[in-house]
Amino acid sequence: MFYSQAMTEVEMVIPAKHLMAVTDELAGLDVFHQIDTSYMSSEAGPDSARSWQQRAVTYASLERQLLSTMQTLGVEQGSPPLADELTMIEIEVVQSLIERIGQEVQTASEQEVTRQNRLEQLESYLCQLEPLADLDLDFGMLRHPHHIFSMLGMIPATNLERLQTSLARTPFVLLTLSEEGTKRVVWLTGAKRDADILERAARSAYLNPLDLPVIHHGTVPEIIESLHTAIERARQHLAEQETEIKVMHENYQPQLRQILWRVRSSRMITEAIAHFGKLHHTYLIVGWVPAARVAELREGLKGVAEEILIDTHPTQRNNPQRNVPVALGNTGIAGTFQPLVTTYAQPRYEEIDPTMLIALTFPLLYGVMFGDVGHGLILALLGWLMSSGKIRALRSMASLGGIIVACGLMATVFGFLYGSVFGSENLLPALWLRPMENITQILLIAIGFGIVLLSTGFLLNIWNAWIVRDWGRLFFDHNGVAGFILFLSLIGVGAGALVSGFPIPPTVLIALAVGAGAVVMFSEALKNLVEKHHPLIEGGPGTYIIQAFFELFETLISLFSNSLSYVRIGAFAVAHGGLSAVIFILADMVGSPHSVGYWIVILLGQLFIVGFEGLIVGIQTMRLEYYEFFSKFFSGGGTRYEPLTLLPPADK
Amino acid sequence: MLNSGVSAYAAIQARVRAMYSTLLTSPTWAELCEADDFSILIELIRQTAYGPYLSRVQNNLLTPRRSIFQIEQRVADDYLTIIRLAPSSTRPLLTQLYRHFEIDNLKAVLRGIVTEAAWERVLYLLFPLGPMTVLPARRMMEAGSMEAAVELLRSTVYYDTLSHSMERYTAEQSLFPMEVALDLTYWRTLWRDMNQLPGEDRSRALRVVGSLVDMNNIMWAIRYRVYHHLSEEEIINYTLPFGYRVQDENIRSIAAGADITQIVTRLYPQLTGVDALLQQPQQGLPELELQLQRQVAEQCRTAFAGYPFHVGILLGYLILTEWETHDLTVLIEAKAAQMPVDQFESHLLVGYPSA
Repeated sequence: MFYSQAMTEVEMVIPAKHLMAVTDELAGLDVFHQIDTSYMSSEAGPDSARSWQQRAVTYASLERQLLSTMQTLGVEQGSPPLADELTMIEIEVVQSLIERIGQEVQTASEQEVTRQNRLEQLESYLCQLEPLADLDLDFGMLRHPHHIFSMLGMIPATNLERLQTSLARTPFVLLTLSEEGTKRVVWLTGAKRDADILERAARSAYLNPLDLPVIHHGTVPEIIESLHTAIERARQHLAEQETEIKVMHENYQPQLRQILWRVRSSRMITEAIAHFGKLHHTYLIVGWVPAARVAELREGLKGVAEEILIDTHPTQRNNPQRNVPVALGNTGIAGTFQPLVTTYAQPRYEEIDPTMLIALTFPLLYGVMFGDVGHGLILALLGWLMSSGKIRALRSMASLGGIIVACGLMATVFGFLYGSVFGSENLLPALWLRPMENITQILLIAIGFGIVLLSTGFLLNIWNAWIVRDWGRLFFDHNGVAGFILFLSLIGVGAGALVSGFPIPPTVLIALAVGAGAVVMFSEALKNLVEKHHPLIEGGPGTYIIQAFFELFETLISLFSNSLSYVRIGAFAVAHGGLSAVIFILADMVGSPHSVGYWIVILLGQLFIVGFEGLIVGIQTMRLEYYEFFSKFFSGGGTRYEPLTLLPPADK
Repeated sequence: MLNSGVSAYAAIQARVRAMYSTLLTSPTWAELCEADDFSILIELIRQTAYGPYLSRVQNNLLTPRRSIFQIEQRVADDYLTIIRLAPSSTRPLLTQLYRHFEIDNLKAVLRGIVTEAAWERVLYLLFPLGPMTVLPARRMMEAGSMEAAVELLRSTVYYDTLSHSMERYTAEQSLFPMEVALDLTYWRTLWRDMNQLPGEDRSRALRVVGSLVDMNNIMWAIRYRVYHHLSEEEIINYTLPFGYRVQDENIRSIAAGADITQIVTRLYPQLTGVDALLQQPQQGLPELELQLQRQVAEQCRTAFAGYPFHVGILLGYLILTEWETHDLTVLIEAKAAQMPVDQFESHLLVGYPSA
């Protein structure tokens, strides 16, 4: 419950003849986390790791080609087929087929683009000439006049003003003839002697001159007429090409999908084989399997071939060097909270998986801060709607649904304890206390709760250190035994000052605090001493003492601030009551309880509390969990358990 | 109310301030500069906020180019985080700001097509944009021609600009017109997005975005005149008519042949030795650009002082973090080439000793 799944290391020696069948079986079982043993393989040869790696690269390249072809044809990948259909496909068999179809599709697609561009070009010519349709003169005279500079063309609208600015010192005329989307059809003219300047300016303003092919000649109306004919013809050609591509889409769709999935699974399998260790006539395969599923693996492989040698090594949690993959096996409500843990870090195999702890404490902290029957039930309902997927807009937040339900229900429980429903404290009796009327009490309880939680953090860190036999961390660390004693003795000193008749004399507590503080201060040297590392201290003694002093100072500050940080639990419980009271006061200012305005303010206020305060309390809870609690014992950095599969996880 | 002011910025400004605190400090820069070689530098960078990004790649695969690629992923992550959390009214501006990486990628791909470079060579030159990119970079590289590559961008914001400037590429066989067109369109869009912000945000964004526009615009004008020897009309058409400190008349004066030193010194009185820099443009202009960038960096840091609930903080952080990776790039390349500190230190922007 408090650890990730127990893992077993599995070593297999398989005869080369069963290579494909075994790999297929391993990928199909979806339990085997592979370890790279390719360093054992020979450097060259058809069965070397490099050769398999090259095959994997070829499959990846074929997959890319296929996807490109499918994209061009508008063919979706579709759902993955059943595992039985994902058999390995030989490169030689599929490569020529993919290249042939790809070439055919690409040629058709390029033809379509060419025809599309041709059509657009003709339409652009027409668009530029239409404003001049009334000019019944030879177009050649307009393009190449004898005595003036003249340029008809298209320019981005954003460049027009800049073009005019750039010609501020040159006489010119710039007429906008028509608008075409973000472009303008313009006619630029000026004196022949300024032709160089005008041309440079036009070019740098991206004025593309109209460059009609020679087949379109004559007067402007004649050219427009011939352009209309050419456009009609170009449209027909384009439609024919589009039809051809549609036919290809229909014909090739099933075949392309089937090949794609097989190529993809072939890539996965060859990538896996590239990481096997090749011996003379056998392969060595090493990896990790959850201990509970080793029998399933064994049975599956024995079904493939009897002569496979399987050696298993159950793994203890006391060896942090081994980098065992971590399979978090939380289900139910704890599973809902797992993303909160993995967002912080992936637990290491040898350390406690804090998912169960966060599943218990997160809703509890939230409930204490946001205790209200009405608001809690609304949150629970919202969470249920999120996780059920009944409302489309909330589907993207489905993974948060369970967490919000738990927080909402716990807020409801504390609502009953506080006697608060939609901020009103007159409708229900408080089963425990009303935060607004017991501010000191709730703040002290909050600090007490924090002390319990922090102490749990210390104990968990001590436990984690014990498991890996990290004695330095266990005894001397600021989160280890020394830090814990320092923490408790300082609390004792504080409690002794506030409570008369405290059972432990202050001198004992102060002596304990000083002793533990000294150990924390010199923890680095003590750890080096225990672990026999030399030198005991880095740099000179003076530097070390200054550094150690500041580290102790920082530890003391953080112990103090960590404990006080939990005051916010009580403060938010009080603030909830205060904020609700403000809503009621505002509503009273707007009108009597019989007026519409009163209820509008109440409704908006409730929405504000659920949305705004609910969110802030969530952030504060997360902060308490991550910063104060997790930082005491949870370091993370574990390797995620990623079993070998026939398809990439995203496709499954 | 929710789109401006305290409520809109309460969470994001706290987050950005937390991110700001992870930027490298002067002692860290000093330590990085003094690293004995590339491998020690990488070990030192591992101890910073960039550590997790380097850890995603096996040690033996961390070449200088790959290290830079990994480091740049932090900038991408920061942009995505900030864009996601920012008030909706500011997202178009932030997204457009982010797009300059995509423009750079697009230019790299276009250059790759012209030089017929292999995809593997271009891949790690590209900024890791993540899910926000619209560029089918690899397909463009494999398209076989510039026309076909541009055609692949048909459904993107770049198609219009590139297809129009394609005519000049075909005529001149130079990427210059296409790259200039991309830049001009980018900055005009950024300026438009900035002007659509509500009041306080607009004036705060103007200081940061405007300073960036100024820097680019004036450097373009100087380079077009000094390096490319372009005519007055061309310089005006290839520059922008707006800015924060640099106004259109300044650009037009440079284009018309006025004394550059005088104009630059008037606009940036804090800069020293401008005349000397312009005497030797080959070395001087990059140095001048660095000095202007440091001015912008100062403007970005200023955004963190005073009233905290505005978009200036987001913009300031994003630019600073980007320039931090620029400096890390300089460091990595310098250490890989075993250059002594005094040869590369002056190329640092935010990691420069007096910055």
